[in-house]
Amino acid sequence: MTSTAARAGVRRPSNSRAGRARGGSHAIVHIILAIGGLLMAFPFVWQIIMSLSTNTEVRSVVPTFWPAELQWQNYAVVFERLPFLSQLWTSTLITVIRTVAQIILCTMAGYAFARMRFFGRTALLAVVLSILLVPSQAYLISQYQIVQGFGWLNTVLGLVAPGLFSAFGTFLMRTAFVNMPAELEEAARIDGASPFQTFWLIMLPLAKPSISVLAITTVLFSWNELLWPLVVSTYANMMPLSAGLATLAGDVTVNYPVLMAASMLAMAPVLIIFIALQRRVIDGLASSGLK
Amino acid sequence: MSVASPRNRSTPPASGRRGGAAARNDGAWPWIFVLPLVGGVALFYLWPILQTAFFSFTTWGVFGGATWSGLDNYARLVTDPQLYQALGNTLIYTGIVLLGVPLAVWLASLLNTPGLRFAAFYRVLYFLPYVAMPTAIALVWRIIFNGDFGILNYVLSLVGITGPYWISTPGFALIAVSIVGLWSSLGFSMIILAAGLKNIPPELYEAAELDGASRSRQFRSVTVPLLSPSIFFVFIITTISSFQLFDLLYALLGSKNPVIPKTSSLVFYFYSQGFISNDKGYASAIAIFIFLLIGVVTIVQFRLQRRWVTND
Amino acid sequence: MRKSSSVTRTKRGRFAASVVGVIGTIALLAACSSGGGAGTTTSDEYTPPSKSLSANITYAVWDQTQVKAIDANLKEFNKEYPKIKVNVDVTPWGDYWTKRQTEASSNTLPDLFWLNGPNFQLYAGNGKVEPLTSVVKGGYITLSDYPKALVEMYSLNGTQYGVPKDFDTIGLWYNKAIFAEAGVEVPTDSWTWDDFQTAAATISKNLASKGIYGAAGGMDGQTTYYNTIFQAGGSVLSEDGKTSGYDSPATEKGIQFWTDLIASKGSPTMQQLTDTAADQWFVSGKLAMYIGGDWARSEIAASPIAKDVQVAPLPAGEKQATVIHGVSNVVAASSKNKQAAQALQVFLASKAAQQQQGDMGAVIPAFNGTQSAFAKSMPGVDLQVFLDELAYAVPLPISKNTAAWNAFEAALLPDAFSGARPVADVLKDLATQMNGALAKE
Repeated sequence: MTSTAARAGVRRPSNSRAGRARGGSHAIVHIILAIGGLLMAFPFVWQIIMSLSTNTEVRSVVPTFWPAELQWQNYAVVFERLPFLSQLWTSTLITVIRTVAQIILCTMAGYAFARMRFFGRTALLAVVLSILLVPSQAYLISQYQIVQGFGWLNTVLGLVAPGLFSAFGTFLMRTAFVNMPAELEEAARIDGASPFQTFWLIMLPLAKPSISVLAITTVLFSWNELLWPLVVSTYANMMPLSAGLATLAGDVTVNYPVLMAASMLAMAPVLIIFIALQRRVIDGLASSGLK
Repeated sequence: MSVASPRNRSTPPASGRRGGAAARNDGAWPWIFVLPLVGGVALFYLWPILQTAFFSFTTWGVFGGATWSGLDNYARLVTDPQLYQALGNTLIYTGIVLLGVPLAVWLASLLNTPGLRFAAFYRVLYFLPYVAMPTAIALVWRIIFNGDFGILNYVLSLVGITGPYWISTPGFALIAVSIVGLWSSLGFSMIILAAGLKNIPPELYEAAELDGASRSRQFRSVTVPLLSPSIFFVFIITTISSFQLFDLLYALLGSKNPVIPKTSSLVFYFYSQGFISNDKGYASAIAIFIFLLIGVVTIVQFRLQRRWVTND
Repeated sequence: MRKSSSVTRTKRGRFAASVVGVIGTIALLAACSSGGGAGTTTSDEYTPPSKSLSANITYAVWDQTQVKAIDANLKEFNKEYPKIKVNVDVTPWGDYWTKRQTEASSNTLPDLFWLNGPNFQLYAGNGKVEPLTSVVKGGYITLSDYPKALVEMYSLNGTQYGVPKDFDTIGLWYNKAIFAEAGVEVPTDSWTWDDFQTAAATISKNLASKGIYGAAGGMDGQTTYYNTIFQAGGSVLSEDGKTSGYDSPATEKGIQFWTDLIASKGSPTMQQLTDTAADQWFVSGKLAMYIGGDWARSEIAASPIAKDVQVAPLPAGEKQATVIHGVSNVVAASSKNKQAAQALQVFLASKAAQQQQGDMGAVIPAFNGTQSAFAKSMPGVDLQVFLDELAYAVPLPISKNTAAWNAFEAALLPDAFSGARPVADVLKDLATQMNGALAKE
């Protein structure tokens, strides 16, 4: 296994003359990745199949691998049962607000923790990171009371508020900034730049890859977040898609195919964004990695 | 190792004390940068934690009204067999999911093979589990793991193994949950590691190759050490999030599953004490326990990283 | 970094001081804000609000499939009260109580919401539910219009808090085709436990090659072991609800019923049933008899076995019994729109609204005499059985913190059913633990 890994982990120099070996080792790489990819994707393939079956077929004890008839109307039912479009809008709104806010707040804080000196810096960082250690359900009632006290129930503000502040994001950005060369800042200081200008004009652009990673994770986390929106919204059209979907699962009667169809519909936007962002990330990494 | 230090931008040595500027005080600037985030964190997270800490010393009525009970909850905590069982289950789960980290390193480096066609396609495939809606995908996994009619046991039977009843046998249920946990977290780790890999300049591999290093030696001496900050990061994040196992357990095993009391995780135990048995004081003590536990584990990991993570 | 030590000392000291201060403040705040307000004293007689009352109220439910019928009800409601806007908030079952608890802690419960038996005493006993007394006194709801067992379920310490809006009983669904194939006589009205056990074992034996079983156990008390406990003359809770009934010999017989069933292979094992629920076995044609609620009818009607299905009353032990349960609409004590909420509560409990619910087929309405649509909803299948069972129905056992001892049942009983431990031992442990939980209430 080591040899295959090694073979694959090595970056061939750009002007490599190793083309002779390339074909063979790539085949093995493809096989391994394909098997892995199949295992990753298999449950989704099945989910799609289930979304096109009838409830009986899904519930039947011996699984049906292909429905008798493709039940495309399950997807239509989703739109009937849920205010899909307004929930999609809510999800998008929440996600965008959160991501933008986190990028701003976490890069600034991360930079300060990484590159600026001030009293209690380490202790404050530890305190901020410590919030990651508590199970999120422990925050539920307290956060609800705070949000309710502000009168933010059933508002976008209430939905996004706690998620605007991320310890994970701060941690990520801090580690990105920590590793940057000090010379750049020194140079800027000599040139008379204020700390903000240094941050904005020099350090921030260098952190783009990490910002992309932060963006991807925030988007995903926001998109799939369930408990908080469920508790804070009582109006169906104020709920994001994740919460709206969950309401399709009743207590004794679950229409599985419709649930699966809804889940596929909810996954689609994020998947598309990821596919699009993915190229950006790779390009961004490729261009900025070698300054 | 005297390779020229590369510019690892997005890969972290988490205890960076570098940044070598002389001891200077930036005045008010740091506070301006830090305050919005810290203010928000303090209001929405630290305050609730303090509340939780306070309530752990009380006996809470169901909907409010706390009466001071000192260390009672903690005394109960220390001798609670269910807590230790939940702890053990969580540790096993975390251990199995962490096995995904070396796996992710391997797969990420495979994915990084230069000139690999369909790399973007593979990347999407591996990332799919992370994008999924947990509730729906857990249902699919339930069907896969079904003891009598599930695909997994069918495949096992083809090689002559009689598969167990995965989600209804105590030990195997935990393994089933861990498999799904591993499956869904692999993609995320791979993304972080991919970013780290991209930052290893090809010149290093060239230099190593010119020095006569075999490919496996290159992997060991160039890739792994330079990737170690990212690996460490992934390690920490995976550990912390594995300790928070809850939704997956619930969704995969089902709420009426007799196996649940024996397979519960720490957070699940917290939830069941707090929201089902309505003993919020005790649940708060459990939350504080989890907090301290993960804190200690994380600190240990930070200490250990000096041994194997290369920072420049 | 030479400055750090003195700095840290001061900083640490300051930090510690501020923490202590904060904790002190929290203590003060927590002591002042007790969550449960004392139950509000209602005016003596309820009078319906004026038809022009304008309000926005929220009605919280957990079942998506009932939303259509609810909307129909609301349409009629708005004909009477055109300016009361009702927002239906559906929360999935798994999260419904988490949400309600969170709301209850801040007294922001929805104006009208569904409450079920197991949670009723928790909310009512903590002053979160508005009593129904004034409404009943004014004659707008008559308690005798609803099944007595359930009406009693929703009263606490002599105060009535709600009336059931629907009810469910448990019956014996069976598959005629499987009985014919196995050569066994179909269930009759006068079946006893022995008849049931024999039939189940025989069918499983005869059709073992096809993987078909006679009957199925399970961990859901409402559809399985509570019924047999009552049929054996035992109880789950004492009359006053303060002690467990699990240590009585009659209750033991009720549990032993399932142990015997599994031991004789009349039923799949507990593990098999956890993986694949009993109703799934049934609708896939792999189970001859399914002890289940009336709510299974929509799934069964849509399944391939629909044409072979029939219903019989549950077999009798010492006596006949079935578990009955139903959901109630209750008004939140902290509601800011009590008048509007009560108006809706009264409307939904009226004969017309209940009839509408029944006709739309989502549930069995609770109002006496409105169940005809239900009985006819599966032609050829004798759904009337579920209604006839009202005569000997026993309400679902509940207490102030039902969930706490339900958890003990779920933890301990599987070993009794599977035969891993002797039933008597398991029940003794269960009774002890349950009594411990009840004592804390």
